[in-house]
Amino acid sequence: MSRGRSAGSRAAPPADTALLDDVAAGALRWLDAMRPHFRLPADVTTDADPNLTLKPLGELAELAQVIHTLHPLAPLRDAAAELFAFAWKETRDGELFAELVRGEPVATYPVELYGVFARVGLRHPGAEELIEATTALRRWRVAREDHTRTLGVLNAELRIGLPPHADAADVLAHTGLGMRSEPWALDRKAAYGITHDVFHLTDWGRAPGRLPDRLADYLRLWLPAWTVSWAEERLWDLVGEFLAVAACLPGAPYDAAGWAEFAAARGAGDAVPESGEPPGPDATPGERFTACYHSTLVAAFAATLARAAVGRSGAGGPAPTSIAGAARGGGPAAMTTLTGSEKSP
Amino acid sequence: MADVANGVALALDGGGGSYALSALLAQDDRVALAAIRVLGADVLAPYALGRAAGGGPDGQSAGGPDGQLVRRALAAYPPGADASDVSRWSYQGLAEATRAFLPDEGTSGYSGTEPAGGGANPADGQPYADRFSYSLSPENAGPAGSPNPANPASPAGSAADAWLRDAPWPKLSHRASQLAALALPGLAPALAAGLAARTEDLARGFVRAVRRRDWLQAAGVGRWLVRAPDVPDSLGLEAGMVYVRRMSGGDPRVALHALAARRFPGGGSR
Amino acid sequence: MATELTAPVETALAVEVEGLLDSAEPEGIYRDTRECGGGLLLAGLLLISPPTPRPTKTDAR
Repeated sequence: MSRGRSAGSRAAPPADTALLDDVAAGALRWLDAMRPHFRLPADVTTDADPNLTLKPLGELAELAQVIHTLHPLAPLRDAAAELFAFAWKETRDGELFAELVRGEPVATYPVELYGVFARVGLRHPGAEELIEATTALRRWRVAREDHTRTLGVLNAELRIGLPPHADAADVLAHTGLGMRSEPWALDRKAAYGITHDVFHLTDWGRAPGRLPDRLADYLRLWLPAWTVSWAEERLWDLVGEFLAVAACLPGAPYDAAGWAEFAAARGAGDAVPESGEPPGPDATPGERFTACYHSTLVAAFAATLARAAVGRSGAGGPAPTSIAGAARGGGPAAMTTLTGSEKSP
Repeated sequence: MADVANGVALALDGGGGSYALSALLAQDDRVALAAIRVLGADVLAPYALGRAAGGGPDGQSAGGPDGQLVRRALAAYPPGADASDVSRWSYQGLAEATRAFLPDEGTSGYSGTEPAGGGANPADGQPYADRFSYSLSPENAGPAGSPNPANPASPAGSAADAWLRDAPWPKLSHRASQLAALALPGLAPALAAGLAARTEDLARGFVRAVRRRDWLQAAGVGRWLVRAPDVPDSLGLEAGMVYVRRMSGGDPRVALHALAARRFPGGGSR
Repeated sequence: MATELTAPVETALAVEVEGLLDSAEPEGIYRDTRECGGGLLLAGLLLISPPTPRPTKTDAR
């Protein structure tokens, strides 16, 4: 081991806010420059691969909104707000979602994506009418193979103001996090499952207090091991996600070595590669985008959560800024009960 | 080495019974002695089992064939001037195990199960001058060290013990695993105490080792963890040790660690 | 060097003993289930995972 890991369970070091701000600012700059690659093609609702079109844009919207809400530095908040507005514009003010639901009425992803915008009051009546019709079906309540995904759907229902189709605590109990999987038995897919259990449960870090103590302790114990292990495997997006999860814990333990390594994985223009080395000089912009957009979004997101946690005193209180109260229907008040386990601040 | 490890593992599995190290070795050559030196105190683990269970192998003494064999292994492979700390500690552990588990005939009523508790054994004419203690390390021998043979059990006190306190957990875990043969009852109480103070870190090391598929390290760390008083319940240590042993595809050293962990538990779960 | 006085075989054995006692960590081996399917690129899905099968507009086959 050449890594200068701290001795572990001792007092966590103070967060390196300069580093965190550098990571977030650099990532946002890169993402902004990559706007053309986030644009949706004309055939987005039919032939285009959703993994290369809707997924990037959806991630951009979800995470930009968090950054806009939580980052303590105004310039970064503004940059994130612009990216979020850009994403909404790409959906043609929500018209996209009506088309997606009409085309794929049983798919969950259009609802999940719509929830990102509905959460802050960006709504589309036509899409919403369709969504109300599809999500009211018994078909919608058929168990999905991935409970983590179901948590995401439940969070979208809360955001949109729909009745939850399942009991979130029940669903959580069947996930990798709820099961408290043996921490040594995770592979990549299971690791993503656990990070996303946390993201859905805490509304992407906005409500860290929703993590039940027992699960927060599980994460506190094992995140350091996972961060080291996946850094050795050089899967940077997962390292970033673990750092983001750590920022959702009570006291937001700061992993100085993990952050240093993650930051050092950045390549030209502060993009973070999905895995291994940054793309070489002869990579096309498109290749750079696919190799880096996800991890770079995660970098901006994780750095924002860690930075916001610095101002949060002690044990995982609520995020300092609340979402704009402009949402109709399921506003913030309705979103505090994904599992009914919300702790008082 | 695989043969010796296998023999020890079998003996641990079967409860000690008719174990005799000397019977495991086809010949008393330098390769066999090397295997003994590498496996360290574990070659006498079945005797520790006997002591703990009140049964075990029939009373071999330090002067018996096994004792002589170990002595020859120690003489054949002493830690050289540039030997690693692990080599020194392992050497001293093996020497101490001879005293602890193969009582000297002359000593009426072998006293106590924690000889390494430090200075409990008066100089008794045994050929090993240095009492085992993990804190007897090169640093201690130097002018800057604070050798304290009278109380070598003081945990984490000297510079030589600094790794126990300060090593990053992946390093701590790797080293603890290299010293897993010292996780026998009473053999290295100060080391056990030092590691017990970092149970969470060791548990993280177990996680990392299994993920790397480093079964030997995982099993070795697991041996210390089963003795720790407050292993996190969510680690799933018991299932983990079964998993590691089976995933290792029959590696005898892994099996030895796994069986020793089962035979010499301690502490509990939280 | 004291080792020069020792027979080569014994020296080699002693070196091997040292190496085994203080062995370096082996290279980590990582393997994920093939159940994930899909390329590595898509494994880190934040929102859409796994890829939703697309409707074929017109099944020409």
